[in-house]
Amino acid sequence: MVLDIALAPMALATKEFNAGDKVRVTVSFKYVVGVNTSVKLSAGPYYNNVFGKHLVDPCVGRADVTLTAVSTPTGGSATVDFVLIAKSLGGIDNGTYGLRVWVEGTNAVAEQDNVIVVSGNSSGGDMFSSMMPMLMMVMMMGMIMPMTQQMGEGTDEE
Amino acid sequence: MELKTLALDLGVFSVLQDKTALQVQQEPLVPGWYIDPRTGQRIFYDPNTRNFYTMGGGVYLPLMSLATPPKQVNVAPGDRLKIDVSFKYTGPAITGASIRYCVGPNGVFGFTEQLVAVETFNIPQVITPPSSPNVVNSHTFNIPTNVGTDWTCIYVKMYGGTPSLGGEVIPSYIFGYQDALVIVGTQPSITEFKIADFAKV
Repeated sequence: MVLDIALAPMALATKEFNAGDKVRVTVSFKYVVGVNTSVKLSAGPYYNNVFGKHLVDPCVGRADVTLTAVSTPTGGSATVDFVLIAKSLGGIDNGTYGLRVWVEGTNAVAEQDNVIVVSGNSSGGDMFSSMMPMLMMVMMMGMIMPMTQQMGEGTDEE
Repeated sequence: MELKTLALDLGVFSVLQDKTALQVQQEPLVPGWYIDPRTGQRIFYDPNTRNFYTMGGGVYLPLMSLATPPKQVNVAPGDRLKIDVSFKYTGPAITGASIRYCVGPNGVFGFTEQLVAVETFNIPQVITPPSSPNVVNSHTFNIPTNVGTDWTCIYVKMYGGTPSLGGEVIPSYIFGYQDALVIVGTQPSITEFKIADFAKV
């Protein structure tokens, strides 16, 4: 009896995080390289919109990984940490994000959509930013009104 | 670093005096254009140099036909590459024969010898044709740090000795493999890259 089993990569489970959390990503790979070398492993959250995929750059973390010279494909693993910097500090907003990991200078990239759920950003900053246009309008009105009054006075003098 | 071995099987050969060797080689005896039965390529044979040529840009380019290797060996700077040579020999004893081992790129303008070594060996008298290779020789190269990624070809040739196996410049016994080596460069090549896990720390 022969078992015909196809193995597929295991999908990552969605996990919830709070703004400010540090996330550690573990990757596995095979490699060959002629000399001892060091590569830069990067990881970070990304989101999709109509224009494609966009990394949340402030949250991208990087780590140096040392590769010992081997001429036959050899298994390796590495970790890289990144911080979900809060929106109020110019970081990530609440929402669902993908996770991307890559080795700079190579074609090694791994990613999966919708695995990072971020919450915990305070709404104070958002209220201020939503009121900004209204405040700007009030300020502009305050500047324009005196000007129109002065123009009206000048006409009376003639 | 690892020791890699590439075995070259030269098949059957005999000394020049043995007429059967000439029959095995099946070289044309008159100058002219021939068609390589394996590739269909038009090649010119010059009996004076006993070499084949192709025409490129109005000049005759020496043709060195290397065989397809039975396997490829990955090597990197710092590795040691051992090349084993074996063959069946029948004939008189030969002393002081030489085998030249070469590694390098083989392109349109011929083989560029980047790593070269010469080993000297003796062959005892053999009267009965052997059923398996009865002469072996080998050389181990240290792959340098400046190895080029195109140093993928290997050839060996045998010459000299008493009685002579032939001249060094125009050897009777030359054999090589095209792209027998895969040079692992200084830039990493990463495969099967995947996220194993991620978690809050």
